[in-house]
Order: sequence, then structure tokens, then C-alpha cells
Amino acid sequence: MKKLISMLVTAALAVTSVFALAGCNSANNGGNGGDKASNFKVGAIYINSQNDTSGYTYAHHHGITEGMKKIGLDPAKDLYIVDNVPEDDEKVKQAIDQLAGNGCNIIFGISFGYINAFEAKAKEYPDIVFSHATGYLSNDKNFNNYFGRIYQARYLAGIAAGYKSLELKNNNIGYVSAWGTEYAETCSGINAFAMGCIAVNPDAKISVYEISTWGDQQLERQAAETLIDTYGCCVIAQHCDSAQPQIVANEKGVFGCGYNSDMTKEAPNAHLTAPVWNWDVYYATAMKAAMEDPASFMTKVGNYYEGLKAGFVDVAPLSSNCTPETKEAIDLAKNMMISGEWDVFSGVKLSFSGAAGSVGVAKADAALKTNDGTEIVAAGGPSVDDGVIQGSMNYYVEGVTQVN
Amino acid sequence: MRKYHLVRRADSKIGRTIIFYAVGILVSLLIGAVILMALGINPFDYYGKMFTIGLVGNRYGYKSIEGFLKIFVPLLITSLALGLSFKMRFWNIGGEGEFLIGAITASVIAFNSSGIPNFVTVLLMCLAAMISSGIIGIAIAALKVKFNTNETLMTLMINYIMLYVIRYIGETKADWNFFLREDSERPKFGTFPDSAVMTGIPLGQFKLLWSVIIAIVLTVIVYIYLKYTKQGYEISVVGDSSATAKYAGMSVGKIVLRTMFISSAMIGLAAALTVSASGTISDTVTNNVGWTGIIVAWLSKLSVPAIFVTSILISILQYGCQAAATQYPAIDSNYADLLQGLILFSVLVADFAANFKIVKKEDAKNA
Repeated sequence: MKKLISMLVTAALAVTSVFALAGCNSANNGGNGGDKASNFKVGAIYINSQNDTSGYTYAHHHGITEGMKKIGLDPAKDLYIVDNVPEDDEKVKQAIDQLAGNGCNIIFGISFGYINAFEAKAKEYPDIVFSHATGYLSNDKNFNNYFGRIYQARYLAGIAAGYKSLELKNNNIGYVSAWGTEYAETCSGINAFAMGCIAVNPDAKISVYEISTWGDQQLERQAAETLIDTYGCCVIAQHCDSAQPQIVANEKGVFGCGYNSDMTKEAPNAHLTAPVWNWDVYYATAMKAAMEDPASFMTKVGNYYEGLKAGFVDVAPLSSNCTPETKEAIDLAKNMMISGEWDVFSGVKLSFSGAAGSVGVAKADAALKTNDGTEIVAAGGPSVDDGVIQGSMNYYVEGVTQVN
Repeated sequence: MRKYHLVRRADSKIGRTIIFYAVGILVSLLIGAVILMALGINPFDYYGKMFTIGLVGNRYGYKSIEGFLKIFVPLLITSLALGLSFKMRFWNIGGEGEFLIGAITASVIAFNSSGIPNFVTVLLMCLAAMISSGIIGIAIAALKVKFNTNETLMTLMINYIMLYVIRYIGETKADWNFFLREDSERPKFGTFPDSAVMTGIPLGQFKLLWSVIIAIVLTVIVYIYLKYTKQGYEISVVGDSSATAKYAGMSVGKIVLRTMFISSAMIGLAAALTVSASGTISDTVTNNVGWTGIIVAWLSKLSVPAIFVTSILISILQYGCQAAATQYPAIDSNYADLLQGLILFSVLVADFAANFKIVKKEDAKNA
């Protein structure tokens, strides 16, 4: 028996080395191999697969490939990906070593939990630019973090929902959310959306149903059903991966605001508009800066928290389900945020009034308060947006209640 | 109706086994090649990168070897440990759970070790992990010996219990939870202080971690233990027939308890070495060695030298698949997993075909 196994092993090793030799000979024949040191190479670490057709990884992969095309890189040749990397420091570090070994000049990590590994490896590879989404760490040489002011787009979607609730004479608006106040990312979205609703309909009540996972089609569906059937909601907004809440709204004859992509195609009779990301805006900016001069990356790009102004976030084109006043009101609010005249989480509140064709906006000083009355920003005070971006928001504003 | 049936081959010709294995692997690689070509990728190029674990043209090749060894060490030790219990016909499929227990206890020490010398900390981590995992192993063995419970179910359940324990630790932000990063709003496992991170022998840029040396020494010890000691002999007697063992005056219960303690403690050691080498813990820290180890142990027919070699080959397969997939944007890890599955499956089929043959019923009597 032992002899048998030793022979077997020899055979296996022989097969291995044959392939190894084949590899040496043909390393330059195709694929990404070869010594093209002058080439700029992009590395990416994904939480799911680049072959997904929707969801978070899909959105980033789409953004990276589009961004590469914008600045003249070929995603089929210059992009190196390690996919399905869990939030495990050791696995992220190995992924980074792989990408560094392949000569990547900039490495993107799209998931929050990659933070420790990015922090450590940025020190180990000072010549590579490390760029980490949704985190809060950076250094002043080669490690930044990036995220967008999606709350600005949420506010605009809230305006559309507010007008719809006025038209339907129903103040109950529902929100299917992955998480509640545990994550600034979700609760800032809920708050901004609620404030957009209230700017149009001061009596609006936003009911949040938390599903406690980033994506689960069944739970998303059930949450939307509960919000409509039990809480009588007439508009369903969402912060979760699939279009299920919109599909439910469509089935039940109510309305909704999707997320991440224009969900009008999934819910043609229900969907109003959706806050969307244009990740390619950031990726093109970052790759261009790293390509031109990696040493000045942190002074030129730095930590990147753009919003409506850069086109990093936006709302999808308004569907015909929106009320006639919606577009004018959204444009008014959008222009105020783009010009920097006003931002969502400040001590100034907007209110919209007037019929279609003559929609007006009024600004009034009013404190930003949580739903239990604690004052966060005094009336007239400045916006708290860096807290939103860096993850310290952990409360709901007035008008929001979590139902589960 | 049944015209054909299976008969174990009376002779086992080495030449035939090798041919069957080679054919099996070739067939699986061919299937993989068809998929690669459909995606417009040169299979020779891809397989070349895979079997050289992406070393060709790699700027930091030594890091690839370090990464490969970090996959290899826990797989080797866990497979050896599982092999011990399988030799006794004790179906320990709780490798994952035993690994996680060890990883958690080692991390408890690691996170609280600032100021303690590195050598002492790592030693304490190893001891604590071995004792905690060993106790779980001995507890399950005791239930088996005392009440004849089903050890397959018991060990299986431990996997899930421990998986949810570590997820709970990883997702619960609380004052007591020293496992997490303090400055993070979201729950996120922290990193060990330097005092708990495995050191090694620097060979140029490459660092040979002590864990690799420990694993190799342990392999030799297990080999000697099974082959030349009384206890090792007892294990195989119990495995062949516990009635025989009893008749020969062996205390079967004691042997089962002792062996399960050693087996689980070894897995605990693998866990301590792993968390120390990576400087952190996570719910994917096992890298599935508790499952892969079962395949390694059986592919190796529970022979220690074969386990050593099979662990190397499986680690090359795992690490190489990822290394190759990285270089092709169209290839994701699902393809890498598919290919690994194909290769393992075909090897198992080849092994089966080398040991059994299909015969017509009337021939069966003559076989």
C-alpha cells in the first residue's frame, strides 16, 4: 500500500511539473501575463463575484470597468480581481499580496471589513495606492477611503414620496431597511428620506422595518407586505439589495422608491424614482490620479466623499407615476445642494409649496432633532455631514419610527 | 434483473491505480479546459499559473509561498488529527468546531497579552487552545463510551454551535467584547498585539514561520506514535475490532477517550498556530479545514506520509486556483471552486475504479 501511494505521489508531482513547465513557456501568450511594467494595473477585492448581475459587487464592478474605459484602460487586460473575499483579515491580506505580486498600482477594496488589512498593507507597500470604500481610516501617503453622500439623493427621493402621499391623502410611508440605527449608512439614508418627505408633507410618518441583513429577497418581500397591509403605507422606500419591495408595491397597487438602480422596469406602475450611485465617477477620478502621480494621490484625491455635485450620486429619471410638482421641487433642492447653499442634516429646513409650474421652496431655521426630542443641531446651525459619512450617526430624526 | 454488480479487485496493481488517477485528473482538467476556452482563455496558460500557484512573473513570489504555507499548515495538522480518530473508527467530523474553540481561546489570550513576551504568549495560546479543544473532544468521546451516543451527530453539531458562537462574538458590540476594534462604529474583529503574532526564521525576504516547523515535527511524531508505540497499536486494534481489543485486555473506553483528546487537541493547536500566524480571528478562520481534512485523510488512506503529501497537493490546488483566477477578470472564484470539485471528484472516482470492478453476475463467482 505504501509503495502504491508513493508511486501515486510521484505521478501527481509529475503531472504538476508538466503543467508548471507549460505555464512557464506560455506565460506571455495571453491573459494578463508578461512583463509590461509600464502598464497601469488596477486591482480590486470584491465581497461577491464580478459575474453577479445585480447588487453591491455588481455596482462596483460596473463602476470600475466603466471608469477604466473612461480613462483609456482595458478592463480585460489591466484589471486584476480577487472575488468572494470574506471580511477576514488574513484572506484580505492574501488577496492584496496576490494583487501586489501581479504589479497592481492601485487596489480597491469595496467592503467595510477589509479595513484592518488595508491599513496594515498600505504600510507594507508604500508604492501602491490603497482605496477602501465605506471605511474611516486613511493615511497621508497612499491610503484613502471613499463613500458618497447618498443621503442627498435619498432626500430627493423623499420629496417624490412626500408628493405622492399628499396626492393619496395618506401620511404613512414605509421603509424596508437592511439595518436600523446600528449603521450610519442605513440610518442616515432613512433620516434624509424622511426629511425629504416631511419637507413636502409635514404630517408624513415614516415607518421603518429592519430586516437585519443586507439582502434576503424573502425577508424584503415580507417586510414590504407588512408595511402595506399592517401599517397602511402608500409609498415603500428601501435600503436592501433586491427590487422585491418595489415588486410588492406594484402588486398591491401602492408606490415606491427603489435603490441602487432604476427599478421602474421591475415595478412599472409603482416606482417613482430611486437614489442611485455612479461609482465610475469616483473610480475614474482615483485611477487617473494614481496613474498620473501616485505620490500626490492623497493631496489630489484624498478621502473622497462627493455627492450630487460631482454626479457621484443622483436620482434615477422620474417615472410617470410621480406627481406633476415632483420634478420642479427635486430640481430646486438639488440645485441648493449642488451650489452648497444648503445640506440635509443642518439646522435649516426646506418646505415646498405651490402647484405644478409654480413650485416654490422656503428655508426656515429649525433645530435638527432626534425622534425622542434630543437636539443634534441648533436652529440655523451647520450640517453634521462628516458624521454621516464617517459613521457616527446612530439616531432617527423626528417623524421616523421603527416598527419591529 | 441485476445483471452487473461490483466486486472488489483481488489484486491491487500500482500501475493500474496510477493510470486511473492520471486519467481521472486529465478528464477533470479537460472539462475545465472546455469552460476556459468557452471564455476565451488559453487553458495551458491558466493551468500553468494554477499549478505554479501564480509564482511565475510574481513580484512578491515569497509572499505567495508564505500564503501557501498558511493554508497548508492548518490543513496538514487537522488532517493528521482527523486521521487519528478515523483510524479508531471514531467518526470525528467536528474538525471545524474543534478548530473554532481553539481559535477563540487562543484569541482570548492573544487580545490580552500586551507586554507578555512573544514566546510565552504563543506557547500559552497553543496550550489553551489544545486544552479547550481537547476537553470538547473528550466530552464527546465520553458520551460515546458511557451512553453509546452517535459521535457523528455530536461532532457535527459542535461545528454549528461554534460557528454561531464566533459570529455572535464578531457581531456584538459591547464593553466586554475585547475581540473587536474599539475605534470602529461597526463591529469588526481587532488585530492581536505584536506579542501574540507568530514569528519565524527570516530567510532573505521570506519568513519561515515557526508554525511550519511545528507542523512538520508533529507529522513525524504522529508517524512514530502510530507506527512504533503501544498506544498507536491500540488505536488500530480498536479500529479493526473493539471486541478483539477488549478480548486482548485493552480498555477500549480509555483508548477512545485518550485518542479523541489527542485528536481534538491537535486541531486546537492548528487553530492557535493559524490565528497567531494571521494575527487575528474571524468566522472564516478555519478555511474549511475541518471538512477538507476529512477528504485528505481518506484520500491518503489514513497513512501519515500520504496525508503530508495530499495536504500539499490540495493546498496547491486551493491557493493556485485563486492565484490563477486573479489574473483573469472573467474568471471568478466560483470557477476555481468548480475546478477543485471536479478534480477531487474525479480522483475519488478513479480511486474507486482502481479498487473495484463491475462484473456480470455469472462471472461473479469466478472473480
